[in-house]
Amino acid sequence: MRSQERKEALWKFGGYVFLLTLVALVMIPLYWMLVAATIPQSEFFAWPPRLLPGTEFLSNFRALQENVDFVRSMGNSIIISVSYTILSLILCSMAGFAFAKYEFRFKEPLFYFILATLVLPIQLLIIPLFLLMVQIGWTNSYLAVILPWAANPLGIFLMRQNMKAIPDSLLESARMDGATEFQLYYKIALPTMLPSLAALSIILFLNQWQAFLYPLVILQDPQMYTIPLALAELVGAQRVYFDQIMVATSLAVTPIFIVFLTMQQYFIKGILSGSVKQ
Amino acid sequence: MTPDTISSKIRTMSAVRQASDQLRFLRQNLSQRLPNIPGIPYIYISPFFILFGAFLLFPTVYTLYLSFFEYLGVSNDILLSVTMGPIEVAIPQMANLEFVGLSNYERLLFRDSLFHRSLFNTSFIFFIQVPLMVGVGLATALVLDAKFIRAKGLFRTLIALPVATGLVAYSTIFLLLFNDQVGLINYILTQVGVEPVAWLGSAWGARFTLVIAVTWRWLGYNMIILLAGLQTVPQQLYEAAEIDGASRWQKFRYVTLPQLRPVLLFVVVASTIGTFQLFSEPFVITGGGPSNATITIVQYIYQRAFESFDLGYASAASVILVAIVSVLSIVQIQYGGDE
Repeated sequence: MRSQERKEALWKFGGYVFLLTLVALVMIPLYWMLVAATIPQSEFFAWPPRLLPGTEFLSNFRALQENVDFVRSMGNSIIISVSYTILSLILCSMAGFAFAKYEFRFKEPLFYFILATLVLPIQLLIIPLFLLMVQIGWTNSYLAVILPWAANPLGIFLMRQNMKAIPDSLLESARMDGATEFQLYYKIALPTMLPSLAALSIILFLNQWQAFLYPLVILQDPQMYTIPLALAELVGAQRVYFDQIMVATSLAVTPIFIVFLTMQQYFIKGILSGSVKQ
Repeated sequence: MTPDTISSKIRTMSAVRQASDQLRFLRQNLSQRLPNIPGIPYIYISPFFILFGAFLLFPTVYTLYLSFFEYLGVSNDILLSVTMGPIEVAIPQMANLEFVGLSNYERLLFRDSLFHRSLFNTSFIFFIQVPLMVGVGLATALVLDAKFIRAKGLFRTLIALPVATGLVAYSTIFLLLFNDQVGLINYILTQVGVEPVAWLGSAWGARFTLVIAVTWRWLGYNMIILLAGLQTVPQQLYEAAEIDGASRWQKFRYVTLPQLRPVLLFVVVASTIGTFQLFSEPFVITGGGPSNATITIVQYIYQRAFESFDLGYASAASVILVAIVSVLSIVQIQYGGDE
């Protein structure tokens, strides 16, 4: 019995050591980002490197803003990500509602067709989308970044799965009371689906906020750059301005961390319903 | 008011009431009939399908089409022009193309050494990355699922935090962290008496830097999914195994693994697809270098398409990429699916 207890204690100890090591490994790069963002450029190439944060964040930020219009790209990112999320939520929830709660011809084949496109990598679409945007003159526009991925196959799948849970009797009784079909959607389906809408919106927002390859192709005017493009621009410059890059990086991830920490349950729910649900 | 006007007023009022009753009846009747009106669902799905068709289906077909052509530049020729009263629709020809048959594919598969190099680099990262990410992800999930661990929520949040950093954001952090001269990693190595490593200056160093960066970013994602999978394993199975005197390893081997199979399969397939789509990490951290040692397939496609404007050739490379990923996923599903 004694050896059994000792074995248990050993497992426990090993488990904590493993977890704490992982947490340390995860936090070191983030801490380093914070240090690098707050020390003056002159101390950057000091050896040994600075290990404690400094007080130069604001002056580093000013240098960054002079170099690339970071505030503007933050604004671009917000406009693009928010309108993309709203548009995609509307499209996916409407279509998901129809697939969950109505019978119509070609319902099954249409739905499975949408699901099949989930395997397509976006890289495949970038060349023709670029040609298309050049032809209709939409390069360097918000629309060109927002529209193409708004019809999100994963989104429609999640919405259909979740909206199946709305009881038919609820919809029927609303019909009896004289609700129009459209009211069924936005007065009943949408309010009861708020948690799933929240989960999906986080996934959509994050995807768009972090999108890189497609905006890189479509947005060539620095005035239209989103945050990831502005960041990559700093790296690509002749001289690498590490302090500015780290200021920009911290500003890029902070809003996302806040969203992640406050809405963690929805975030995890979104990841999960995108995966394990059959 | 004369009796006459009163009676006419009453008449109008009752007529109004009748009309409104009739309206209510009609409306109720209509709303009960509506579900049978076949148009309604189509109205709901059509906005989705319009965008889906224009920006997903059409480009997919067009990539396949483009892959058989050599691209000679955008043309302004009008393909189709329709004038209906004030409405004028002109669809310009997409591009100036010369049909080359399968020659793009032939060149890519047999004569393009840089493409082969990108295939090799991507496969290398794939063979290291997927076992590493799934293995460590599973270990983390198992520890977090264990009864004796406290503060699970806190650990889970911290380990999953990198999921919320953008691809470019975390890539730039690693660019600095692994900098050969001033990076923190080399500093730590010299402090413990190890020679500084040319992380970004050597082929293998650069490849391993990419592997480390990608693992850092995606470990938490895999962990969350596997943890959810573990929590669906029925406790009775473990209890039954304990009664039979199963060891910790036996419980893992004969209860956990088989129960977790579909979730594991999902994680493996998703990691495979993700690895083959690697772009922003090599683009930002290594720039594909040194001397193309870390160029990935997607990066090669990007260079071909948007630096040398070989759009037809790059399209053929995209089709090959899709084929590789599909075959790998099908093999994994066949091998790992239900027996």
